[in-house]
Amino acid sequence: MGERMLTPDVLVIGGGATGAGLLRDLARRGLRCLLVDRSDFGTGTSGRYHGLLHSGGRYVSKDPSAARECIVENQVLRRIAAGCIEDTGGIFVATPDDPDDYVDAFPGACAAAGIDCDEIPVTETLRREPALSPAIRRAFRVPDAALEPWQLIEANLADARAHGADAWPYQRVVAIQRDGRRISGVTVRDERSGASTRVVPRMIASAAGAWAGQVAALAGVELMMSPGKGTMIVYNQRMTDTVVNRCHPPGDGDIMVPVHTVAILGTTEELVEDPDDDETSSDEVQALINEGEALFPALRRMRVLRAYTGVRPLYRDPAVQGPEASDDGRAISRSHIILDHEARDGVEGLISIVGGKLTTYRLMAEQAANAVCAKLGMSEPCTTAGEPLPGMGDSRAHWLGHRLAEHEDRGGGDADLICECEMVTRAMLERFLDRRGPCSIDDIRRGTRLGMGPCQGGFCTFRAAAIMAERAPDGHTDRAAPGGSASDPEGALSTFLNERSKGTRAVAWGRQLQELWMVTGIYVGVMGLEGSSSEHGGEATEDHGAVS
Amino acid sequence: MPSADAVVVGAGLAGLSATLALAEAGARVHLLAKGHASTHWASGGLDVAALPRAVTVREAVARLADDARHPYAILSDALPPALEWIRGMLQHEGLPYVGTIDGPVVPVPTSIGATRPAAILPAAQAAALRPWEPGERLVVCGPGGFKDYWPHAIARGLRRAGAWWGSAGPERVDPLVVELPGVRDRLNLDAIELARLFEEPGWRWDAFAAIRRALIIGGLDGPGRMALPAVLGLDDHAAVLAEATSELPLEPFEVPLMPPSVPGLRLYRALRAAIVRAGGRVQIGQAVVRIGVRDGRVVEVAMEAAARQFVVRTDMLIMATGGIAGGGLVGHPDGTLREPLLDLPVEAPPAMSWLAREPLAAGGHPLEAAGIRSDAELRPVDASGRPAGPAGVRICGSLLAGQRYLRERCGDGVAVASGWLAAGAHRPSAPRRDAPQSLAGEVAG
Ligand SMILES: Cc1cc2nc3c(=O)[nH]c(=O)nc-3n(C[C@H](O)[C@H](O)[C@H](O)COP(=O)(O)OP(=O)(O)OC[C@H]3O[C@@H](n4cnc5c(N)ncnc54)[C@H](O)[C@@H]3O)c2cc1C
Ligand SMILES: Cc1cc2nc3c(=O)[nH]c(=O)nc-3n(C[C@H](O)[C@H](O)[C@H](O)COP(=O)(O)OP(=O)(O)OC[C@H]3O[C@@H](n4cnc5c(N)ncnc54)[C@H](O)[C@@H]3O)c2cc1C
Repeated sequence: MGERMLTPDVLVIGGGATGAGLLRDLARRGLRCLLVDRSDFGTGTSGRYHGLLHSGGRYVSKDPSAARECIVENQVLRRIAAGCIEDTGGIFVATPDDPDDYVDAFPGACAAAGIDCDEIPVTETLRREPALSPAIRRAFRVPDAALEPWQLIEANLADARAHGADAWPYQRVVAIQRDGRRISGVTVRDERSGASTRVVPRMIASAAGAWAGQVAALAGVELMMSPGKGTMIVYNQRMTDTVVNRCHPPGDGDIMVPVHTVAILGTTEELVEDPDDDETSSDEVQALINEGEALFPALRRMRVLRAYTGVRPLYRDPAVQGPEASDDGRAISRSHIILDHEARDGVEGLISIVGGKLTTYRLMAEQAANAVCAKLGMSEPCTTAGEPLPGMGDSRAHWLGHRLAEHEDRGGGDADLICECEMVTRAMLERFLDRRGPCSIDDIRRGTRLGMGPCQGGFCTFRAAAIMAERAPDGHTDRAAPGGSASDPEGALSTFLNERSKGTRAVAWGRQLQELWMVTGIYVGVMGLEGSSSEHGGEATEDHGAVS
Repeated sequence: MPSADAVVVGAGLAGLSATLALAEAGARVHLLAKGHASTHWASGGLDVAALPRAVTVREAVARLADDARHPYAILSDALPPALEWIRGMLQHEGLPYVGTIDGPVVPVPTSIGATRPAAILPAAQAAALRPWEPGERLVVCGPGGFKDYWPHAIARGLRRAGAWWGSAGPERVDPLVVELPGVRDRLNLDAIELARLFEEPGWRWDAFAAIRRALIIGGLDGPGRMALPAVLGLDDHAAVLAEATSELPLEPFEVPLMPPSVPGLRLYRALRAAIVRAGGRVQIGQAVVRIGVRDGRVVEVAMEAAARQFVVRTDMLIMATGGIAGGGLVGHPDGTLREPLLDLPVEAPPAMSWLAREPLAAGGHPLEAAGIRSDAELRPVDASGRPAGPAGVRICGSLLAGQRYLRERCGDGVAVASGWLAAGAHRPSAPRRDAPQSLAGEVAG
């Protein structure tokens, strides 16, 4: 890893959108900062969210200040992160079951929050989105959009690095030492090699999301998070080109977000004890589809590719709500809060930033950076809202045909398509690998969207594994990410396929079960992956004595 | 309304075997299928059985047949003659297979650089079956710019100690990427297009010359063999293979690729040609949607068609609709598995339980053995062994319960033996009548 920064001004814990945004903000203010994440960047909630750049419309009636934050940040991100945004626009539609008073008050509440909202005739809405239920009564257009998280996180990290910061994936914070009231050091463990490193920062900023309670506990601070698990399901088609919200008090299964070649229906909400609880149950999936049918009546006949869950970093303020105040996650505020553990708990050198939304990650980072700077006696202003992120091209918002057009602009060039569904070319993959170095196929997926389209990696993963292997020098065994490496393409493949199937199990019926079976047949049957060849291997090795 | 002595539903190895056996016996038989089958996805080899510690196929079959719930418990007698028969048919169609059920099961290379157990393979893959002599090398050779065969990755995989299950593999494994005329310029070339290129005599002459040159430049001389992607021609395969064998200094063998499988296509086409030659009819493209039953017997089979349903009258239905992959078993959101045509009782693990396990989990997945249980004559029965569904039905191939084809490598053996046996259950009442009329006319009318 070259020279390692062991005594940074600030250690940021957590490489989700919030942490990456915070690292960028602090670095631009001239602080030497280091970020660590226990896994790859964007594998926490930020990589498992619904994909919606909120206009704020969802919060106008219950939480107007959150709505205002959303619309302001929505406009900021359109300027600084255009390349991560597909400007789909959004609509709120009222079904026959939605309360009249809510629907009637909606446009006024949007106006009060500063959100552009136009009513559009139902006939026009249905002409533009024919898969919508013909029973809808009213429709309002708002500036919602789809927001790609991984590219956003990478761009924030890249800008931070350009300003002297460093970010280490697969480094878990395992201990925080204190010298009396003061934090004196942090131990991070390399999740690949097991090696420990001690980092001695002046300040720690914990942006560990739903895990912020666990991190605080390492420093002996009690911070109670109420992780709110939400399930989303991915359809194999964009049945809508616009984000569709139900115009009612926020509930389950009431938003459909078109994302690249697919569309995602969400979400559910259930408070859980353990933020690592990512089981998807088929009951949740059924419940989502039942609700979603109010928006798209043909939903049950459409093909579900997979289901996944994310865990909301909800924070329960003990002063406001007693621990047993409510079991309803939706009642807990969606706003963020910065906890100064010196004032709150008497522990110096640590702040936590919790709650919030991906849409407002930059604002959260700005406020957290202000708090850090105040502690360190600095008054540098925040510059993240004015400067576009690197690599965003011209500020033309990204659209579905973008990759195809780019590909054709280059005259096809050397562009062999490795992943046909998501138009990932060999050159794109190679560029990613150049930047990233040793990594797993899952990292490639997040970095390039390879395997995220309708075939869910069935046909392209092995090509990615092979390209990784071609790049690794002969006889070389690398220290790679857990779950696969260039010198073990077979291991990388089975890890990836099992990982993907976790998401498809709960939706494994009909065509999806058939395809899961087909892909398993191809890899195990035709390609000899795991299954019987390793069984044979095991036996034969036994018979012939140990082979190291 | 057309009528037939038997209707076979499904164009996989099971349906093709049953149809061919019936047609040969002089029956008027229609094969109806909604789409292509696992031949188009699989390796093109004939997987009969392979188990850890069973040296030969026969040994593995015997062990599987010991389990009363395995299809081989009722098929093991039919298996040897059925295999003999189908190989004779394939040989006749110019697609000979090599290896026997008494031969050893050996590891053969795959295109992800692993190995799979095999014993009976088409001639083009046969060189992979011979034991590796000391000093023999393997050159993994593929065209540059083709994205479903990666010599470096394959060679790297095959150099791992575990790849050959501890038995002697080749002494050296070397990758060789060869630029073949025009391949790199034709972006996104697939296996079938590449196979078509090999059918052009001039092109392949240049291609083999390029490979020879690359071998010399790379210093990769014999003794040894070379692993090529399975694209050595489709229709004109025999000629391409013969020329590859004579023109290349190392003995070539084909390695099956990601779908579409060229060796599988050859197998499908050979059997289809044999069926048509024997007077059988094959119609692919529409789903069978209804089985007509009267007085507890099958009377007709209805297929989706453009204008209205296309109906064939018959009193004999052979169901070779495959397992979950083929569409013969359908999963429902409530976690049950159903047989969609006759709603036959399905033997499956408890509802929902399958959702808890990874498909690649060691030891297999609970759904693998799911299927329809049958009696010794392949008639469907329920859990207590009583007849289920209407009379006149036979179950074949991967629809049969109790096999775990990915672990036991028994899918093709079960398919051929059950297809052959089901066909034998039919005795044509009269000698062969005139060929059935055109189906196209019926559909239009
Ligand atoms: C179901 C669902 C749907 C949502 N939909 C939307 C939406 O449509 N729009 C929107 O704006 N917001 C949405 N959100 C909210 C949004 O996703 C989150 O608020 C946001 O992603 C939180 O980002 P974060 O960086 O704070 O946390 P995370 O992304 O979770 O980052 C925390 C990081 O900390 C790391 N970490 C944890 N412990 C340690 C340790 N000991 N050492 C080192 N690193 C550690 C984790 O690996 C993780 O990467 C949704 C949330 C959920 C759950
Ligand atoms: C990807 C894959 C890899 C495999 N690898 C191996 C292996 O390595 N080793 C091994 O031993 N076995 C393997 N198998 C299994 C093996 O190929 C099969 O068991 C064997 O070929 C027998 O198949 P089948 O004829 O029963 O069914 P299939 O080949 O599945 O054919 C089913 C047919 O039924 C048709 N059909 C289904 N429903 C209807 C309907 N309603 N109307 C009309 N037509 C219908 C389908 O269109 C298809 O033509 C594999 C299978 C798959 C799918």
